[in-house]
Amino acid sequence: MRVSHALFAAALSIGGLTCVAATPVNPSASAASQRSAAPPPRASQVAPPVEKDSVRFAIIGDTGTGTSSQYQVGAELTKARQTFPFEFVIMLGDNIYGSERPQDFVTKFEKPYQALLDAKVPFYAALGNHDDPTQRYYKPFNMNGERYYTFSKGSARFFVLDSNYMDQTQLKWLEEQLSRANDRWKIAYFHHPLYSSGEKHGSEVDLRTQVEPLFMKYGVDVVFAGHEHFYERIKPQNGIYYFIEGGSAKLRKGDIQKGGPLTANGFDTDFSFMLAELGKDAMQFQVLSRGGKPVDSGTLRLAEEPDKPAQSKPASR
Amino acid sequence: MVVSLGCRLEEGEMMRTLLVLGFSLFSVVAAAQESASVNPFAKSMADFKQRVDEYMKLRDEITRKTPEVKETGDPAKIYAREKALGEAIGKARAGAKPGDILGADMAAHFKRILAEDWKARSPADRKALFNELPKGVTITINRPYPPTLPLVSVPPKLLAMLPMLPEALEYRLIDRYFLLRDRDANLVIDMLSGVLPQRDR
Repeated sequence: MRVSHALFAAALSIGGLTCVAATPVNPSASAASQRSAAPPPRASQVAPPVEKDSVRFAIIGDTGTGTSSQYQVGAELTKARQTFPFEFVIMLGDNIYGSERPQDFVTKFEKPYQALLDAKVPFYAALGNHDDPTQRYYKPFNMNGERYYTFSKGSARFFVLDSNYMDQTQLKWLEEQLSRANDRWKIAYFHHPLYSSGEKHGSEVDLRTQVEPLFMKYGVDVVFAGHEHFYERIKPQNGIYYFIEGGSAKLRKGDIQKGGPLTANGFDTDFSFMLAELGKDAMQFQVLSRGGKPVDSGTLRLAEEPDKPAQSKPASR
Repeated sequence: MVVSLGCRLEEGEMMRTLLVLGFSLFSVVAAAQESASVNPFAKSMADFKQRVDEYMKLRDEITRKTPEVKETGDPAKIYAREKALGEAIGKARAGAKPGDILGADMAAHFKRILAEDWKARSPADRKALFNELPKGVTITINRPYPPTLPLVSVPPKLLAMLPMLPEALEYRLIDRYFLLRDRDANLVIDMLSGVLPQRDR
């Protein structure tokens, strides 16, 4: 399945998916102009879900610092859930920075998200380069003891990869899982971004050559990654929407290349998190700063017939 | 010998016996020729695999005493198991030295693979990898991988060129080292030093 951006269809036409900006996003706006935008008035500016029975989730990345910024984003997430009742949270890696003693799991995960954990909101973690793979045994991360795994929610299947160590075994597993999935939505997430405008890291080209052909072949719709300490929405690549949300507790200010060719929108001046809703034929997304300020939002629309099975997709995807 | 056997065999049986003996002789000769022309890389690979298997056998024995952690909400159990496993393996392999598993013969192959991979990378790619690699690190066999340092992702194209490892083990790059790491024990079990180029200061 694919998305395109309706408001900028001429510039971003990519086939089967359409992205409509809910909060108007200027397609020519560079990261720099986003940074210079005046902050909107402080109020709850979280948009509620638009569809009944949709799959609603939050996205955070590069979180495990135990710093006040992590706690602030955690509090804002809890607040956002009052308006946008997400069912679960996906974590894009670097879940625990530095030492991983038992107390670190408390200060760098359990306490910052205590309200959500108390409300029985499950978290599904991917491993980052700062994560000991033994985190897969930590029950609150819901990894089932595996470095890479898959889970489904409603009409969506999530493929959670270990981008630190993409060996042939994992690639084989990924292809097998993707080939047998006929879910309406296919979402992949992992730590290292295949596309990025970050000055420090940039795109993971090597990883991209290995996994993107599979994403294209089997119709992955949206990919989330972290690693870069900012938010970036990448212009659609090969029919796939890529997001980076690695600024939920770490921030690399001004790291998004100005005027880079990949950026559809970027935010690198404050911490942020994402909310997403997978509906029958569209994904709504919104990005908020730690202070609740809207950073980006939009709608990615599936253009296919709702009941069309995944196997019947054109092979060219 | 054949004749004496033939005294007690029917003609057909004798023919079968002759054929079997003939094939056996052919196999012995063929095997001898094969061993003389064996690919040295294949031999090194087979030896490396055997050393890995031996490590895994030892590890399996130790794991029986320090069973794998099931999913738990108590990170203290995960931490304790990692520590216990690392210490037990370290004790069982006391005196382990560089090359014990990677092997002197394979070291040249690993270095060649790493050098070729490095050569094939773009300047931007090399810079990105350098940015990720922790520097000024001292690594010791049978000691934990420095627990506060990141585990730098091993480029998938490089991984594809390296011999496959059991799930319990992984290759890692740190500073200028190439490591074999026991994943659940967070233990450095072997290493090659100076395999990555020195970064221009």
